[in-house]
Amino acid sequence: MGLAIETRNLVKKYKTRKGSSITVVDNVDLQVEPGEIFGFLGPNGAGKTTTIKILLGIIYQTSGDAFILGKEAGDIAVHRELSYLPEKPYYYEHMTGLEVMQFYASLFGMKDIAKCKSLLERVNLGNDMNRPISQYSKGMQQRVGLAQSLLNDPKLLFLDEPTGGLDPIAHIEIRDLILQFREEGKTVFISSHELSDVERICDRVAIINKGAVVAQGRLEELLVGGRIEVTANNCTTELADSLRDSHNLVSINHGRMIVDIPDSKNPNDLVGAIAKAGGEIVSVIPRRKRLEDFFLEAVSGDNIAKGRHQPSMLEATETEETDS
Amino acid sequence: MTAIWSIARTTLNEAIRRRVLLVILLIGILFLVIAPGLEALSPRQEITVLKSLTLGVIQLTSAVIAIVLTVYLIPNEIERRTIYTILSKPVLRWQFLVGKYLGAVLALGLMMALMTGALLLVFMIMQDTRDLATLGEMVRVPFMFFVQMSLLAAVAVFFSTFVSPIVNFFLAGGVYLVGTVFNSLFQVLSENKDINPLVKSAAGLVHAVIPNFQYFNVQNTAINPGQGIQSESLYYLQMTGYALFYIAALLAGAILIFDRREV
Repeated sequence: MGLAIETRNLVKKYKTRKGSSITVVDNVDLQVEPGEIFGFLGPNGAGKTTTIKILLGIIYQTSGDAFILGKEAGDIAVHRELSYLPEKPYYYEHMTGLEVMQFYASLFGMKDIAKCKSLLERVNLGNDMNRPISQYSKGMQQRVGLAQSLLNDPKLLFLDEPTGGLDPIAHIEIRDLILQFREEGKTVFISSHELSDVERICDRVAIINKGAVVAQGRLEELLVGGRIEVTANNCTTELADSLRDSHNLVSINHGRMIVDIPDSKNPNDLVGAIAKAGGEIVSVIPRRKRLEDFFLEAVSGDNIAKGRHQPSMLEATETEETDS
Repeated sequence: MTAIWSIARTTLNEAIRRRVLLVILLIGILFLVIAPGLEALSPRQEITVLKSLTLGVIQLTSAVIAIVLTVYLIPNEIERRTIYTILSKPVLRWQFLVGKYLGAVLALGLMMALMTGALLLVFMIMQDTRDLATLGEMVRVPFMFFVQMSLLAAVAVFFSTFVSPIVNFFLAGGVYLVGTVFNSLFQVLSENKDINPLVKSAAGLVHAVIPNFQYFNVQNTAINPGQGIQSESLYYLQMTGYALFYIAALLAGAILIFDRREV
């Protein structure tokens, strides 16, 4: 069975009013296997939504190839087999939840009201389906979005920030629904900032920064290695300064210092140096590498990532980072 | 076809809930209702003034509704991102555009039918008649206005694929103004042999490109009983065909642009 999504050297450039061009998507190569939940991560403005729009055929690539379920992106026949939940979905407010479902069903030529109702019940909107959408909370609107995305029993779902801005209960409900999709054999492509969710539910991820994919692979392969967090009290700024160059100094505040070292290093040297300078060791805690750590490393060239981690080159990088 | 109809129906349902359109419609109907009270302002024949005034109100109100309704038709869908969900379904862009246009025309037709209903009511009361033939003559004029406004809506939909709503408002309004008031002038200029060839060509181009909205203004036959159109039914049929030709051309142009547009 072929790939659910494949892009090769995908590039999207926009022309500015001054005549120059901005590269929003820069030689992106993605491979998404059928039946997996694929996380597409990146800071704001990294090119995630633009890539999704190209894959959906809503906008067109400047160069490169994009294939969905073996056919070229934008092929209308593929649209029968995929669905899309946009970030902050908006629906015609005069409609009820059920009418929204019937409207989207009609775009597939379906008139199956029973299916519309059962999908709304599946997302726990059975009692609210006849209320106008304008009275729905954000979480309810998101659930309508998920319900409409299931109308055609899609093989592939694109979910753009599906849990963004939701309360914890709605958040968990939607996360659980996404996990159910995988059990049903659907491929799910999620663009999200919720790294804890992605780490929990995704099989593979790609991280995009400034338009270029900076890492891609299975989570267990990407999250190898960890760090050791050493916390000490009574530390002087001189001690902190002496460690700053050779270690990752997380913070120094009122004599309390936190230093990170890779778990491949022996912490005894650091502990000894701190004790020698009069510092009092509070804890030495090995920490498993989290997706958040990996993400920050991957986008460390970007302003938002500065602070916690030193820049490092990623072995998983498959494409060249370019200035944009 | 189902997709086009669904989009059209949704557009209609949304349009009839838009407060700005309802306010314009209510103002129009209000003018129609109070029009008989304005007879004292004119020394001319009461019924002639009344017909002229009420039909003018219908035309002006319909033109404003047609433009306001259609200039936001596509930009609103993009701004609210509803278009993304729709285009991610098996819906082609031309189907979306045609569905939106048809929905707008249906909404326009509904609103114009309400105004025509008010117009007929006023005349039934003023003339104390229920004679269908007399009333039917009055209905022909709003029908031709409807054809005219459907064409105007197509002009605005065409522009909405590449300009902002505000620019579109003035562009579509400008085309309507030129097509209604100045088209005959451009025609005369284009046929005049004594003027500068460049001016003559420019006038000919404007006359050929901009639809002549004046063709649909048949109110004189209703206002002045002495005036008439030879082969009236044929004329209406020809003018409807003329409008359909322009509408098809404008929608084809809009589809070509919209198909390549990044949304």
